[in-house]
Amino acid sequence: MNQLTRSQIRDLMEQVLKNQGKVLPDDDAADLREIGFRSLDFSELALRVEDETGEELNFDAPGLRRIATVGDVLDFLLQLQQQ
Amino acid sequence: MSDLVDAQLVPPATVVLVSGGSRGLGLAIVTDLLGRGLKVAAFARTVTPELEKLAAEHPDRVHVGSVDVTDQQASQAFVKEVEQRLGPIDGIVNNAAVGQDSLHVHTSTDGIARIIETNLTAPLQLTRFVVRRMFAKGLKGRIVNITSICAQRGFPGLVAYSATKGGMDAATRSLARELGGRVLANAVAPGFFASEMSAVLGQTQLDQIVRRTPTGHLTEPEEVVPVVRMLLCEQTNINGQVIVVDGAASI
Ligand SMILES: NC(=O)c1ccc[n+]([C@@H]2O[C@H](COP(=O)([O-])OP(=O)(O)OC[C@H]3O[C@@H](n4cnc5c(N)ncnc54)[C@H](OP(=O)(O)O)[C@@H]3O)[C@@H](O)[C@H]2O)c1
Repeated sequence: MNQLTRSQIRDLMEQVLKNQGKVLPDDDAADLREIGFRSLDFSELALRVEDETGEELNFDAPGLRRIATVGDVLDFLLQLQQQ
Repeated sequence: MSDLVDAQLVPPATVVLVSGGSRGLGLAIVTDLLGRGLKVAAFARTVTPELEKLAAEHPDRVHVGSVDVTDQQASQAFVKEVEQRLGPIDGIVNNAAVGQDSLHVHTSTDGIARIIETNLTAPLQLTRFVVRRMFAKGLKGRIVNITSICAQRGFPGLVAYSATKGGMDAATRSLARELGGRVLANAVAPGFFASEMSAVLGQTQLDQIVRRTPTGHLTEPEEVVPVVRMLLCEQTNINGQVIVVDGAASI
């Protein structure tokens, strides 16, 4: 299965934020609330990853609620790709 | 009441089928109806020790089984078993359902189909079968559909689930019309209550619901049960209604 690397996902995340005039910090520990990355932005990012890989990434909301930092987003999407 | 009106009334249910009676609200309904002296049949995919215990305590008034409501053959066979053991069914509570906690765009298409099959298609099919049996025997009866406040208010993460509950509310109204007073059909729509289904809600969400509820607490299954019992057992002329039990959270 075609999978994106952590840095490729980071690039996509940067694009999602850039479209809204926001900047993705380099620090993986950056707080999503502070950079204005909301749950629907996560949806958009997940769908962009799907577009790249051609595989659907379906998941329940509780997993999403635990996501608080940039690193959490990247880890979650890496993990989803492996399922 | 005049004799003419009396003859038209739908008598209280005596043998009630409760789908999803193994835990949560369904188990509370089964327990309550048994406590009132009714005969009760209950099924779920897994029969829990709690349900087994009730069956052992009231061997003449309870029939339980392990049935998947989406398996029409198994559901219909169960209905026939119940008729043999307890007598003709004159009340049905469509309570079995699966929940959802995923954004629509991230719910698999299979997942959407499963929710619709369990929460909408299967109860319609089961109701059809039970009402056919009632009519064939010249019986009157009562239907209570357990729906949800989600049918009337929007909640993220519950798109397919809400659609099924709205579908059941709509079906309830049309059933009431179609069954011409021979069968009373109503729905009970609870607000969120603690159960396996709602366990996915985070503490922040639960706190938020409580804050928005004028009565200051989440609905308890014990607060829903008397409404279900009333619709099954009391003489009220309530028909085709959806009764919300949510402490005015949605008002
Ligand atoms: N909890 C809430 O906040 C809430 C709010 C509003 C409305 N409701 C409604 O209230 C009703 C009861 O919910 P609950 O919270 O008590 O849920 P629950 O604790 O999850 O219980 C659901 C019951 O349905 C059974 N069930 C599920 N899928 C089934 C299937 N395919 N075939 C047969 N049985 C099945 C379950 O047993 P098995 O899994 O073993 O089959 C269980 O007995 C549902 O209609 C729900 O939509 C719940």
